[in-house]
Amino acid sequence: MPRPGIVPSTPRSATFAVLAGAAALGLALTGCTTAASPDGGGKPTSGGTLTYASGDAEPTCLDPHVGGNYPQALVSSQFLESLVSLDADGTIIPWLADSWTVSPDGLSWEFTLKDDVTFTDGTPLDAAAVQANIAHLQNPETGSSTGYLALAKVTGTEAVSDSVVRLNLTQPDSALLESLAQPWLAIESPTALTRSQDENCAAPVGTGPFIVDSWVKQNAITLVRNEDYTSPPADAEHDGPAYLEEIVWRFIPDSASRYAALQAGEVDVIDNAQPDTISQAESSDTIVHLDAPRPGASNRIELNSGKAPFNDAAVREAFIRSANVDDAVASLFQGSAERSFSALSSVEPLGVSRPNLFDYDPDAADELLDGAGWAEKDSEGYRVKDGVRLTVVFPVSTNQSIPAEQSLFEQIQATAKETGFEVQLTKLDLSSWYTALGSNAYDAVSAPYTKIGPDVLRILFHSDGITPAPSGYFANHAQVNDPELDSLLTEAGQVSTGSTNADADLRASLYEDAQDLILNGFYILPLYDQQNHFLLGSAVEGARALPTVSTPAFYDAWLNR
Amino acid sequence: MLWAVATVTFFAVRLIPGDPAEAILGGPGSQTSPEALAAVRAEYGLDQPVLVQYLQQLGRLATGDLGRSYALNMDVGPLVLSQLGGTLLLAVLSLGVAWLIALLLATWSTGRGRMAARIGTGLEIVGAALPHFWLATTLIVVFSVWWGVLPPISTADARGLVLPVATLAIPLAGFLGQVMRESLNTALESPFVLSARARGESDRGVLWRHALRHAALPAISLSGWAFGSLISGAVVVETIFARPGLGRTLLNAVTVRDVPVVVGVVMVVAVAYILMTIVTDLASSLADPRPTEHGNGALS
Repeated sequence: MPRPGIVPSTPRSATFAVLAGAAALGLALTGCTTAASPDGGGKPTSGGTLTYASGDAEPTCLDPHVGGNYPQALVSSQFLESLVSLDADGTIIPWLADSWTVSPDGLSWEFTLKDDVTFTDGTPLDAAAVQANIAHLQNPETGSSTGYLALAKVTGTEAVSDSVVRLNLTQPDSALLESLAQPWLAIESPTALTRSQDENCAAPVGTGPFIVDSWVKQNAITLVRNEDYTSPPADAEHDGPAYLEEIVWRFIPDSASRYAALQAGEVDVIDNAQPDTISQAESSDTIVHLDAPRPGASNRIELNSGKAPFNDAAVREAFIRSANVDDAVASLFQGSAERSFSALSSVEPLGVSRPNLFDYDPDAADELLDGAGWAEKDSEGYRVKDGVRLTVVFPVSTNQSIPAEQSLFEQIQATAKETGFEVQLTKLDLSSWYTALGSNAYDAVSAPYTKIGPDVLRILFHSDGITPAPSGYFANHAQVNDPELDSLLTEAGQVSTGSTNADADLRASLYEDAQDLILNGFYILPLYDQQNHFLLGSAVEGARALPTVSTPAFYDAWLNR
Repeated sequence: MLWAVATVTFFAVRLIPGDPAEAILGGPGSQTSPEALAAVRAEYGLDQPVLVQYLQQLGRLATGDLGRSYALNMDVGPLVLSQLGGTLLLAVLSLGVAWLIALLLATWSTGRGRMAARIGTGLEIVGAALPHFWLATTLIVVFSVWWGVLPPISTADARGLVLPVATLAIPLAGFLGQVMRESLNTALESPFVLSARARGESDRGVLWRHALRHAALPAISLSGWAFGSLISGAVVVETIFARPGLGRTLLNAVTVRDVPVVVGVVMVVAVAYILMTIVTDLASSLADPRPTEHGNGALS
């Protein structure tokens, strides 16, 4: 079902909650956002055009209900808003919904909407609008992937009153609020949703601080200020309309050109900054670096435990011990990425880190392989067993692995060779890479997965994720098939939602046990957080990354030129 | 010719492994539900055998319908037309600038002694050997980052055109210049030059009024090919300089196996190439100094 990628999904903190603000649960989340501009820029001034240059693919549809990927989230965060958001600590906070309650059995949620909010086409935000959005996401004709999966447990909606909407669930969903905070489940004007999909894709209508004015494909999307804006999230710095008059959203696929355009002052903000440009920017006094790792899974190499040679835990551990990751990350990422020892992103409060499991130790690797029957080596120095060479087929997606990461895999290939692994790296474009995975033609693979909250573990490691969808795609690339892990993940996802700390503690401990099973099973080799770096010209003040999925937010931003 | 182009392109794209339906829904990083995939396959006829898809595509092409893009949510005809202008502008400007550079270099360095000839030849060889990718990056570093005089990306005014045009024109000028110099030297040694001199023409007069017309012929014929190479160069240049155009469209479409767009772009490029060849043929016959009556092929 789900597929790899930068997928989104559930939130980062615990959810329950009776009223807004009660949701905190005391889980300390490290927010992924950092204020970008050093304060001291003075008083915000209104006006001006900010030019943003994205290195991500140009979306084919600006409505993130359709499909649902990260490039859509980047731009739609500027004009669409969600029912709830996260603050920098990872606590769920009000956005379009002021407050919410959940029934004792966890099967019914009621959201009270903010008063006097209208979409930019004049349609009022009411219970019926939210119902129309849930229906739109669940309608197969919409072609929603991410939002559709996030609403898997939602069976129906009711308008309790004009301003109160109820969601009915088949099972308790401890990830519901985290799911609703994601930009892929943003609330759009029900009037606009009745247009054809082509029209809605070209200019979705929301409640956000900016409005889609025009979209010239392969060139730019122009966003203009919403003068009647009234609905900032609870952690915004100001009220009323945004300071910026206009945002020009451009697509500059080449990393060097993007950085040159920033240096030349042609653009104000770039995303997908690569390690070399980050390190240049760090030494510049005119460019500010904003590091906003994405939530969900860490970037990791997944070892296919479904077939030889990695169906043997000792061989998996030997591979991990043979890979000198630390030195390679330090040299290739030039300090822009910190080594991870967790299945989850460092911004996930429920992530656990187990550094001692991932030491580089070639001697231990040799012993493990000798003990596992791979004691002989052939003339080229690779280990063999029963005449078969110890080969690791590793397809690499050039769309998803940045150049520094591809080089990292080459260095892992080199150090693993010293232990006797033959790592066959193949660089593939996205379509070919999916095909390699779908045909089980891999022993190792690395795929990002963005989603708010620890529920991403269920998608990536529950045995349900091994069964290929009709497309041949599946998310459990490590092909972990452990009934104990399955039941932990299922139970954690259904922790009956209440507002008690006991529930939160239970959820946290279930996810900790689950992560220990995964890490101790040597199914994955964690590398670092999913990298997400922005560089801002020094004129840009007040920009930040939203703590939900780390997309940039320009509502509080202004230009100090 | 167009049928052959369409056929080769269709199968070339479909033979690359990869599932268009996944690519359509996926893009970099999303998760696709099986229901959505099935719906997409049915919508675009991807559940049909490849041969059926090919015949359907061919049938549509025969009626002038380029089909609908899988990935971009729009008809291919308008899409290609909307991107055609940018690429044509780039190609035509680059061709013009390349001609100008080649002409100036060839005429300046011819007949000025061995040193000038060596400099001219050297510049042409180096220019012709420069890869677009390297040249584009170097120009950006020098003119945008160091000197800050020209933008590294497309802009609303003409400034943004300078670096991309230079990137395409410099290597092409190298090629054209080499051809021009060779035929110029041949022409200058021909009997008609001798007779022109005998009539009292100056060196410059001989060069500009007589020899150059001969020298230009091979370069004009080469311009048809050059135009084709400019379009392929546009793939690199449009991506690096973030310009809208067919090159970038083509690159994106191949990545996501967007067959209708790939076929559409290639068809349009093929048509442009054919037209350009006709134009260069006409230009050749206009520039040809030889008598045009049938049967009279004698050299002047």
